[in-house]
Amino acid sequence: MSTFSFISETAWRCASCNKELHPRKVNVEYMGSVFNVELMVCPVCGFVLIPENLALGKMLEVEQLLEDK
Amino acid sequence: MEQQQLRKLEATCIQEESPQCSAACPIHIDVRAFMACLAGKDWRGARRVLDRTMPFADIVGRICDEPCRQACKRSEIGDPLAVHRLERFCVTTQPMVLRSPRLPAKGGSVAVIGSGLAAMTAALDLARKGRTAVMLTSDEQIGGSLRQYAEEMLPAQVLAVGVETLYSYGVILHFGCSLNQEFLATVRQDHDAVFLDRDCRGLATLAVDCTQPDPVTLAIGLDGCFAGGGSTANGFSVMKQVEDGRRAALSIERYLQKVSLTAQREREGVCPTRLFTQIAGIPPLSEVLPADPAAGYTAREAVAEAARCIQCECMECVKQCAFLQEFNDYPKRLVRKIYNNEAIVQGTRTANKMINSCMLCGQCTVICPHDFPLNTVCRTTRANMVASATMPPSAHEFALQDMEFSLGTFAALARHQPGRDSSRLLFFPGCQLAGSAPQTVEQTYLHLTRHLDGGVGLMLGCCGIPAHWSGRQELFHRTMQTLVAEVGRLGDPLIVTACSSCYTVFKEFAPQLTVQSLWQLLDKMELPANAAAPPQPMAIHDPCTVRHEPQIRASVRNIIKKIGISTEEHPYAGELTDCCGYGGLMQFANVPLGEKAARAKARRSECDGLAYCAMCRDNMAATGRRVAHLLDYLFPAASRQDPLLRPNPGFSGRHENRARLKQHLLTTLWQEEPPMNPAHKEIKLVIAPQLMELLDKRHILEDDIRKVIGQAEQSGRRLVDPENGHFLASYRPVRVTYWVEYQPGRQGFIVHNAYSHRMILPGEAK
Ligand code: SF4
Ligand code: SF4
Ligand code: SF4
Ligand SMILES: [Zn+2]
Repeated sequence: MSTFSFISETAWRCASCNKELHPRKVNVEYMGSVFNVELMVCPVCGFVLIPENLALGKMLEVEQLLEDK
Repeated sequence: MEQQQLRKLEATCIQEESPQCSAACPIHIDVRAFMACLAGKDWRGARRVLDRTMPFADIVGRICDEPCRQACKRSEIGDPLAVHRLERFCVTTQPMVLRSPRLPAKGGSVAVIGSGLAAMTAALDLARKGRTAVMLTSDEQIGGSLRQYAEEMLPAQVLAVGVETLYSYGVILHFGCSLNQEFLATVRQDHDAVFLDRDCRGLATLAVDCTQPDPVTLAIGLDGCFAGGGSTANGFSVMKQVEDGRRAALSIERYLQKVSLTAQREREGVCPTRLFTQIAGIPPLSEVLPADPAAGYTAREAVAEAARCIQCECMECVKQCAFLQEFNDYPKRLVRKIYNNEAIVQGTRTANKMINSCMLCGQCTVICPHDFPLNTVCRTTRANMVASATMPPSAHEFALQDMEFSLGTFAALARHQPGRDSSRLLFFPGCQLAGSAPQTVEQTYLHLTRHLDGGVGLMLGCCGIPAHWSGRQELFHRTMQTLVAEVGRLGDPLIVTACSSCYTVFKEFAPQLTVQSLWQLLDKMELPANAAAPPQPMAIHDPCTVRHEPQIRASVRNIIKKIGISTEEHPYAGELTDCCGYGGLMQFANVPLGEKAARAKARRSECDGLAYCAMCRDNMAATGRRVAHLLDYLFPAASRQDPLLRPNPGFSGRHENRARLKQHLLTTLWQEEPPMNPAHKEIKLVIAPQLMELLDKRHILEDDIRKVIGQAEQSGRRLVDPENGHFLASYRPVRVTYWVEYQPGRQGFIVHNAYSHRMILPGEAK
């Protein structure tokens, strides 16, 4: 499985762990398809950040593609 | 969709039928395209159109007797197009662009007796098909009767080019043959088929009767012999020569292939066409005459004349429908796409979005000269998609959740009139009016209870049309059954609907219920004394669901008149009215198109708008249009502000309004305890109006935001931006993950942004 990377520097920090976010590969899933993507994640608790431009851009595109499959 | 059904539907849309000109042309020259090229000064393009279909275009273009002209649609609004003069302009100024290919030789030798235009055409067509064509003529030159044209009409040099053309395709020419009694027998022995051009001197000496060829095949009494061309009772027609030559070549080709000579030849030659072209509104124009008739058109004159062509086509439905315009296609092609989409087993179904973008409003069916039922096609296709689990989940989920809310504990209600235990009538305002103008619902209900006997019950809920529109058959039937049972529990009173969608749904799907529109009822009642009419004239915006309800439309107009509102009718009212974008749940499946449709409906009139469907009203208001609901004027006490300026409540606002309406009526009218709110309801939000609008487009409710914040504040799981102290948190209540950027404030949580996605993150429930 190929990994797509959506990491970019971010001002968001994990509030409960008080940690900066770091790039990490995680699995996201929709309509039975699993994608391995690199996202910004809290290294302690694993909170995954989905920024607005990703949610409304690439992610939406893939969602709609999968819905039409 | 079955293939047979597809064929039937395709035949219903006549957009692809030939324009009158091409249908009347014996060889179906694409006159419309020819005119478009000339009007756009595309000289090569114009010549290409002729070269594609017209044999010996240099010759025929100069002398064509334009049988298409008398059929031209332009003659109904001015003069018909001067087709021949334009053809002449084209072939005299632009040399050949397209030379038809010659297929590889495939055997079969055909004799063509005579050398008129019919013989020339037959020989050329057969040679192009790869047959050996041998022209045998008693003449010394080709052309037959064409040689009688004056030199300036048809120069000898141009006829000579015709000979070159025949040679270049490998036609063998024998001049000076002596036609006698034995001639035909010898020719028939040497060749597989024979064409006799009746425009040929000496044909009478042959031992054969060529006077009555079969009109379809041109076959004569002798096997393998065909005849055509020459003069008829109507004289000598150039295009008749071409038609016969081409028809004979086709017959001979079939004869050589040993296939049916007659099958499927209806569309050859002059044929009828069903194309409809609207000419109302096109200004009449008379023919452009050349300043020098002998010289013919100058380029400028030709362009001006060709520009008179109305480019005949139907497209009547497309001209009015925002959906068809958006997908830039007419129904014939769309049903094909729908059919193909359904047939896809593996791969991307590219037509899903289109299928979910029709408003199911039926305007096209009314406009179409053949009543094309695109709404039915799209709706049944949606049901099929749901049944086969190929419906994209995101298309209608939000709207269906909205419906669920309207039917749920916090919004739905069914009661007899306070203090009574039976109802003669049951007021059903519908989910959208309750969401848009709850106070108006209350006022209307009170008015009905005060002025009608026998008890007026109230039912808040939803008729289930979103389920129907989205193809959720089962959900729809379940909803309808529950509703019918509930009405039965109240003693089957007469249902009075404020929304015409509810009215049509009940009428169509619950025939056991008795239904009346609020408007018809009000029309027969005394109207509220304080009904207030604005001074300016207004434009009525009929909802699409009254398209086939003339009585409701008439009642509405009566009421409007009685309360003294002056109106200005516009053409897209009544039967032709547009949908506001809510129909078919289009505005949910295609948000940007929803806005376009609302805008298109709003733009039908310059006057202030007057709607009588809550969704029409709100959707048009959202585009910035000054538009009121008729009930706003009938019950002015309900709203202190100018009804024309009442903002679109948005989806969150509608939820809120429905819940408050139930709460308020339960406590004030029935003295009952309202249902308890869930804990997250207590969370106060501060949202700027602009962000509110954006959230509406993103289909994010305030309630979703409350859930995210409630969850984040409770668990502490959130991100923080140390620069500005904003938090960012996410929560997935069911199938959508919502993200909210917020900050605690004095009046409540200040919301800075919110967005969502459907992808499931690690740790989220599926
Ligand atoms: S107006 Fe143009 S397209 Fe229509 S019939 Fe005449 S030439 Fe043909
Ligand atoms: S939106 Fe209405 S007018 Fe347009 S195609 Fe659909 S049913 Fe026809
Ligand atoms: S109105 Fe529309 S559906 Fe009907 S024939 Fe014309 S293009 Fe086709
Ligand atoms: Zn953390």
